[in-house]
Amino acid sequence: MVMFATILIMSLLAVAVCAAAFSAATRGEAPQPDIQPERRLVLEPPRFFVSPAAKPAETLGVPVEMLLSQIERHVRLEQAAAEAYLDLPTRDSLHSRTESPLLH
Amino acid sequence: MANVQPDLLRGLSDEEAAGFRALGVPTSLASGQTLFRLGAEADRAYLVVRGRIALTLPLQIRGGEEEVLVEETLPGETVGWSGFVPPHRFTLNATAAMTSELLAFSREAVLDHFTTHPGVGHTVTRNLATVIGHRLQVFQTMWLREMQRAVDHRYP
Repeated sequence: MVMFATILIMSLLAVAVCAAAFSAATRGEAPQPDIQPERRLVLEPPRFFVSPAAKPAETLGVPVEMLLSQIERHVRLEQAAAEAYLDLPTRDSLHSRTESPLLH
Repeated sequence: MANVQPDLLRGLSDEEAAGFRALGVPTSLASGQTLFRLGAEADRAYLVVRGRIALTLPLQIRGGEEEVLVEETLPGETVGWSGFVPPHRFTLNATAAMTSELLAFSREAVLDHFTTHPGVGHTVTRNLATVIGHRLQVFQTMWLREMQRAVDHRYP
């Protein structure tokens, strides 16, 4: 009987010690809510044909009047090239090069 | 325009051409003066007699709006054919690039003339279709050339 009581007490003591050790080991590790890192939907700015990143730095200092003049020259050259293509349609003349200041 | 065959009058006899031209109201523009504006109601078309008409569209440049030339109309050419084609709204801005003289043909007067002169109506309408078709082809070609450059630039 004494032997049984000793084993029982020792077992209870061992369980208590294990519980205390487990409690100490897991303290501060309360389960965290499942937080997802903030996700942001990043939309690229609208663009047509050419990425803004590709904007050549040398055009930034060009006065608007000069830019308009270059656009006008570009339109005239492109219109002439289109007319030439329509006079004699070929694959080469469709994409013929001009001396447009916007392309060089 | 004496030496230039107007694009709208090709194929008409001298008498028919004179009768049609008589419908036109002479109009003079100083350099820089506006002929019509984008979005305005179009009830007439114009034949350029002298000078040059610049057709422009607004383009956003560095946050500001600028008028950009898209086409120039020369003596003998027709401008403002939206006056004859539904929905009868101008789709460009037209300004005299220099002192210019034009003949203004009101849609109402032209359609009345076509009713009494169906042969003239047939020829002028065919000429108008030719003018519109040619410009469509020109702009289609210009657009494709720009698209090719965009593709070359984007996917070198």
